[in-house]
Amino acid sequence: MSQYFKKIFAIVIIILPILSFADVSVWQLIPEKSSLIFTATQNNAPVSGKFKKFAGDIHFDPAQLKASHVRIVIDMSSVSTDYADVADTLKTAEWFNVVSFPQAVFTAENFTQTGNHSYQANGTLTIRDKTVPVVMIFTLEGFSQTTARAKGSAMLKRLAFEVGQGEWQKTDNVQDEVQVQFTVAAIKK
Amino acid sequence: MLIKNTENHYGAMAILLHWGMALLIIGLLGEGLYMVNLPISLQKLKLFGWHKEYGVLVLILVCFRLGWRLTNSVPALPINLPKWQKIAARMAHWSFYVFMFAMPITGWLITSAAGLPVSFFGWITLPDLIVPNTDLRIFFTEIHQWLAYGLIAVICLHMGAAFKHHFINKDNVLRGMLP
Repeated sequence: MSQYFKKIFAIVIIILPILSFADVSVWQLIPEKSSLIFTATQNNAPVSGKFKKFAGDIHFDPAQLKASHVRIVIDMSSVSTDYADVADTLKTAEWFNVVSFPQAVFTAENFTQTGNHSYQANGTLTIRDKTVPVVMIFTLEGFSQTTARAKGSAMLKRLAFEVGQGEWQKTDNVQDEVQVQFTVAAIKK
Repeated sequence: MLIKNTENHYGAMAILLHWGMALLIIGLLGEGLYMVNLPISLQKLKLFGWHKEYGVLVLILVCFRLGWRLTNSVPALPINLPKWQKIAARMAHWSFYVFMFAMPITGWLITSAAGLPVSFFGWITLPDLIVPNTDLRIFFTEIHQWLAYGLIAVICLHMGAAFKHHFINKDNVLRGMLP
């Protein structure tokens, strides 16, 4: 009889972590309610743009941060700016080179809670063919059993991704730092 | 020389503002005509950056200059000058004030409509006058362009008149604006 209990105990020990991992909620990103905005600095003044198309593979549970993981794929040719010439320039070979590198990918696996509703994720971002570690911070503005909304930001350095080549490597007129701000709204799958 | 204007000579402040802003404005007109035709490049971005900053400088200076003009007497034009020429001269002078306000303000409207705000030499970023809008950007760009052509025409008229007074009439009109 004790042999029997030992077996059950062993199985439970092995299966529990697997079960808990499998239990992390999977979220469906709602594109109309989500946004991805970047702000760079031109001639000492801000210039903003956005990516209109991005998709996400979101496995997140505040109660199981260790098992949470996120992967966002950004359609680089969906870049849009108020002055169309800026976006057209960003699509060229010297900047995003959307022909050769149509997608950027952000992945985060290492989540930590930093405040009541605030979190930090250490991940990586791939733009062009450069993959660079990125720290992202975000707050959960709404989180229920069925819907979630996260707002966050990350500071990037464009030259780390070789965005802006040739004469554009100079940072006097277009600075290296680029602020990224996002809102992700999702429903539970 | 006095700081303020007298009955027959402009004062040091008016002379400094006149020649300083003349250099600045003629420089901006030339640079503006050159930069708009450049292909997108770092050079073009740099020139646009300067154009905006020095344009804001003109706007600041003209506010002060208008105040100075309104609180100073202005040297009289020659007594024997035909009345229509006196009127034409004063109209040209006042039109410069209209241009000096209208050029930077339409420039500011363009840059606001383009979503590319202006920093004043890295000290402050100017607030946007309007929300970004492509139709308005094109509209104000055209106005800015035609104002520039108009300003160039009035500058030519003004210079032509100054030389005519100096070399043909041989009066003191041009000398009144020299140090």
